[in-house]
Amino acid sequence: MSDDVQVKSTATAEEQRPTQNEDGMTQETGNRSATEMQARDEGTKTEETKADRKKIWGKKEKPRVKDISRKELDVLEPVSIDELMPLPPPYDKIEEQPGWKEMSEEAKAGTQCTLDGFAASPIPQPESPEEEEELVEAFVSGLKKLLSRENNWEFLQPLTLSIDYCVGCQTCADACHVFKGSGEKEIYRPTYRSEVFRKLVKKYVKPGGKILSHFTGADIDLNWETVTRLYELAYRCNLCRRCAQTCPIGVDNGLIAHELRKVFSQELGWAPRELHEKGTELQLQIGSSTGMNPVVVKDNIEFIDEDMEDETGIHVETPFDKEDAEYLLIHNAGEILAWPENPGAFSIIMEKAGLDWTMSSEEVGYDGVNYGLFYDDVQLARIALTHAQIGKKLGAKKLIMGECGHQHKALMTVADRVLGGDNNIPRESALTLLEEIVFSGKIEFDPSKNDFPVTLHDPCNIVRNLGIVEPQRRILRYLCPQFREMTPHGVDNYCCGGGSGFAVMSPFNFTDWRVSIASRMKFKQILDAFADQPEPEVKKYICAPCSNCKGQIRDVLQYYGALDKSGITYGGLVELIVNAMVDVEEPFIHWEMH
Amino acid sequence: MTTSALILLSYVLLAVFLLAFVLRSVRLARFPVHLRWELSPVPHEKGKGHYGGSYLEELEWWNKPRKKDHVAEITYMAKEILFLKALWEHNRKLWWFSFPFHLGLYLLVGGAILFLLGGLGAVLGIQGPGWGIFSRGIVVLAGGGYALGALGAIGLFLTRLSDKGMRNSTAPVTFLNLLLLFAMFATGLWAVLTVTGFAGQVLAFGGALFSADLGVEIAGILKAHFLFAFLFLAYLPFTQMMHFVAKYFTYHKVRWDDEPVVAGSKLDRKLKVLLGQPVTWAAPHIRADGKRNWVDIATDIGRKKEEVDQ
Repeated sequence: MSDDVQVKSTATAEEQRPTQNEDGMTQETGNRSATEMQARDEGTKTEETKADRKKIWGKKEKPRVKDISRKELDVLEPVSIDELMPLPPPYDKIEEQPGWKEMSEEAKAGTQCTLDGFAASPIPQPESPEEEEELVEAFVSGLKKLLSRENNWEFLQPLTLSIDYCVGCQTCADACHVFKGSGEKEIYRPTYRSEVFRKLVKKYVKPGGKILSHFTGADIDLNWETVTRLYELAYRCNLCRRCAQTCPIGVDNGLIAHELRKVFSQELGWAPRELHEKGTELQLQIGSSTGMNPVVVKDNIEFIDEDMEDETGIHVETPFDKEDAEYLLIHNAGEILAWPENPGAFSIIMEKAGLDWTMSSEEVGYDGVNYGLFYDDVQLARIALTHAQIGKKLGAKKLIMGECGHQHKALMTVADRVLGGDNNIPRESALTLLEEIVFSGKIEFDPSKNDFPVTLHDPCNIVRNLGIVEPQRRILRYLCPQFREMTPHGVDNYCCGGGSGFAVMSPFNFTDWRVSIASRMKFKQILDAFADQPEPEVKKYICAPCSNCKGQIRDVLQYYGALDKSGITYGGLVELIVNAMVDVEEPFIHWEMH
Repeated sequence: MTTSALILLSYVLLAVFLLAFVLRSVRLARFPVHLRWELSPVPHEKGKGHYGGSYLEELEWWNKPRKKDHVAEITYMAKEILFLKALWEHNRKLWWFSFPFHLGLYLLVGGAILFLLGGLGAVLGIQGPGWGIFSRGIVVLAGGGYALGALGAIGLFLTRLSDKGMRNSTAPVTFLNLLLLFAMFATGLWAVLTVTGFAGQVLAFGGALFSADLGVEIAGILKAHFLFAFLFLAYLPFTQMMHFVAKYFTYHKVRWDDEPVVAGSKLDRKLKVLLGQPVTWAAPHIRADGKRNWVDIATDIGRKKEEVDQ
């Protein structure tokens, strides 16, 4: 391919007026001008880009699976805002949408943004061809371990089934919010990543894989570009498993993305900083991925208790390290810092219901986060075991999962089979407990206090993956007169776009990707749910009983200015419960972006 | 090819099929137990399966007896197997070809059972007054199966060729598979339409297979059809077309495997064995040396306690 066929990471790169920020990133200073957008409307740039791509991909205009290894491409498949799935008004005008950051050359140097122009993680840069070769070989070594009984008994059966039996029917594609939200970009098709993986396994791991490789479909080259693009591609899937749910065979493309992340982490030591260094490692070393040590956590909770008393008039003292309590409540510690009203509301409810409960101040015991679920089985097991052992040590009868989806999935099901023997301690969802409390009669409610439009976001990890569907709905139907469902909902829901750790990942220009592409379908669902009252004067509430989902939804609402334009804010379930309590005189929910 | 040569070749191809089919199925069944990875809806959840709920919605679920609705599970699978329910709901465009294709295969399996029973009956000399039902059954099942199968195979072939998404994930070998299947269906259909005494010749060939009677003669088009059919059978276990077996595992052993660990249970004991295996992952934070097992590394959180306390 000639050098002149270079596709820009975003079609608008030259059109923007960038300023460099402190992270070495460039940020648009404002929305695009009308003239710029008019030029786009006339199709000049788009046509140019399409022509370029046609030269690259031939008639298809889309990259083939094997093209992932092509060295001559600056970007495998560029993405631009005007190609994304359209949003309903008033978010349908591209010129009014915030733009995307353009990565500076300095920022690009430590990453590999040749997949789609975005980067989710830094990548170690080899200093010589030999080192590059070693890393590629290490990747193959990791693939072999992934398919061994000793190193990957945890997922060998589901993984093998997903490798060997996909018939390529593409039923999964329509189920994927990233693929649809992106305007059907080929690289985001659930099978694209899986096919790269399958071809590599077929050609480089299975005996005789190179024989008739073009005929059998193993027509792929393994090189630095393949490995690094595949690493980035493993972080373009939310692991929501909606695709797996629709697959007639039962193939799980989400699992394949998960297993790829494991190869990179467990063999090469590559993982996004927010998940590993600032995630599981920080949690295991200091006690929490937020960086809070036990002293800070206790102080913060004390402050929250005081704030809650000021706000509601209800005196609470959150108990810590109470031995032999019925319930050991473990929050996602991010709530304590970002949404203190959530643990505050929990304490009010638990106290008013007269429950025998406690929190733990032991390292890890006050943070239910377990990012190991997203990328590394060893880290997953380490954190889950620590949670269980802390519960055992305190003599708690059961562990209660706070409003955190991945905590639910990690501790209640996925890690269940590493919590055998003495580590086996009952675990229960807060949603189930809250339902029991709300309908027990121990607390008096006035549902008219929640008389505003409310919709429910179903966290994938709680609903699709655990089957906890109805408890939260029964509460909302009772306490929120204007509750309405999204379409689709329940186990068929769409991911918020922050799943699998994305909500806490904001390196380089990744926030732009996760907010405008991964969350696009969810944002559309939210707008559709409130379509009967679109005006900003009508305040609306998205109930998202999951910390990561809330973080992602916050970022989306902020990105589009949805509070000002549509009157939409968000929060958890316990906030609605406290807001409806007769004993709480002032509104507990504030119509602000927080 | 003479019929006798076809019979001898059929034995070889059938043996390959049986051996490979059993070995591959056993391999699928003998994978180690995995971490839980269930996916709602799980139809055996009594009273909850219809909306995707699970026993985890229950307070203190570990103290309650598990109530499984096996009828709902069987009904779910029956709809999936017989009508391709998931494809109907999520990929209607493909269903219009995939359904006749699969229905054609099911009819042929029915026809094949009659073919084998008829052949066995002929060898054993059991051919009473009701025996004609085998002949008529074979003609109806085979005729219908071939027609539907041929339609489905060619439709799937053209869909894969024309749909950009499918084309990108379709290897050349998959097109060959579909052509092989089409050849099998088309020759069968041709034989049904042109061979006089089709059922009689089929039953005679079935009888010859059981009795190793190399003196039987059948029509040329039937020979071609049986050749394609046995070639397909022998080839089947080596392809992704074995998904009809894999599907049992993807559904029952992955999606719907929601069995919790109970301390001291058989599952717990199996897991202890797996956790005792050595680990060789190379990343530094794993701290594996090829000798330390899963328990060793999972309980080594690497915290420098003294430093943290200071």
